[in-house]
Amino acid sequence: MAETSVIGAGTVVSGHIRGQGSLEILGRVEGDVSVTGNVMIGPAGRVRGNVTGAEVTISGQVQGDLRGTQAVLLEPGARVVGDISGPRVGIAPGALARGHVQTDGEPAPTPARVPAPAARPLSAPARLTPAAPPTPTRVEAKAPLPLPAPARVEAKAPLPLPAPARVEAKAPLPLPAPARIEAKAPPPPSPKVAPPKPEVRKPDPPRAAPASAPAEFTPVRPIKPEPRRPPPPVVPVISKGTKAKKKKSHD
Amino acid sequence: MAGTVIGEGLTIEGDISGDEEIVIHGNLRGRLTTTDAVTVGGTAVVGADITGASLSVAGQVTGDVTASERVDIQAGGKLVGDIKAARFTIADGASFKGNVDMEV
Repeated sequence: MAETSVIGAGTVVSGHIRGQGSLEILGRVEGDVSVTGNVMIGPAGRVRGNVTGAEVTISGQVQGDLRGTQAVLLEPGARVVGDISGPRVGIAPGALARGHVQTDGEPAPTPARVPAPAARPLSAPARLTPAAPPTPTRVEAKAPLPLPAPARVEAKAPLPLPAPARVEAKAPLPLPAPARIEAKAPPPPSPKVAPPKPEVRKPDPPRAAPASAPAEFTPVRPIKPEPRRPPPPVVPVISKGTKAKKKKSHD
Repeated sequence: MAGTVIGEGLTIEGDISGDEEIVIHGNLRGRLTTTDAVTVGGTAVVGADITGASLSVAGQVTGDVTASERVDIQAGGKLVGDIKAARFTIADGASFKGNVDMEV
């Protein structure tokens, strides 16, 4: 029946999980996981144990070895302490890994897919990295419509980062208005009214970039990142040899 | 949708605990504790003590059951173990062996 099993966000499994089918871990597992299907560990998922599956996709935290018979993909926000092996291994920017990584065996039956790209489009990639660049391109593409606005918008968009949020909220209604308003009173209202146009169209990129993307992923890291990180190396204040030099000079 | 689903073909050896609904179609050996409903599907084989708000059994369960609300054994279901629940039903065609404590 249910080919895909789910360990819910509010569930803790302490023991081994094995068998057929795919597995989605949104909660916690303390034990080894070994399934024939894909394994997906969600952003809030935590596993302490070895994980084996066909395609293993990690967005959460794993303390243990990962083995994917087809692929192992670490999404942004993933934290893995353990060895990683599989024919295809993808570690997206923003993922943390500590351990031995090895790509081995023959690529999966679906060779067309490339690890890194596959990993990105899945969830966050579009939001994370390309966040900044898309804004200009989109504005340009749509500029032809709001002829008067674009020039100003481009100039002002970069600076008033916080403003967009407000504008977005108001934006839906003013859409039709701007043309009229600008014709009447160009100087004062235009800065306020004009921005909404482009803002309305490009809400996706800006939102994703500053607000949602970090918001989504930061929570994952704060959980344990600091405590787990090794303490900074103790660097001696006096570099090696300086004492010897001093002594020598005294002598 | 159920919070946790153990699909057919999947085996868990160990404890499951949580605060959400749990549906089992596969195998479980260990212990199962939740504050929500537990459903044991027709293909499931469970050898575990179960604690939950309610339990519905269509598969096989071996173990003691404690439910804060109710326990239902569906037709075709099999339960061996003691039951402690306020309400308890056994459908025609179900099999059951054990003690029942309905907190009278």
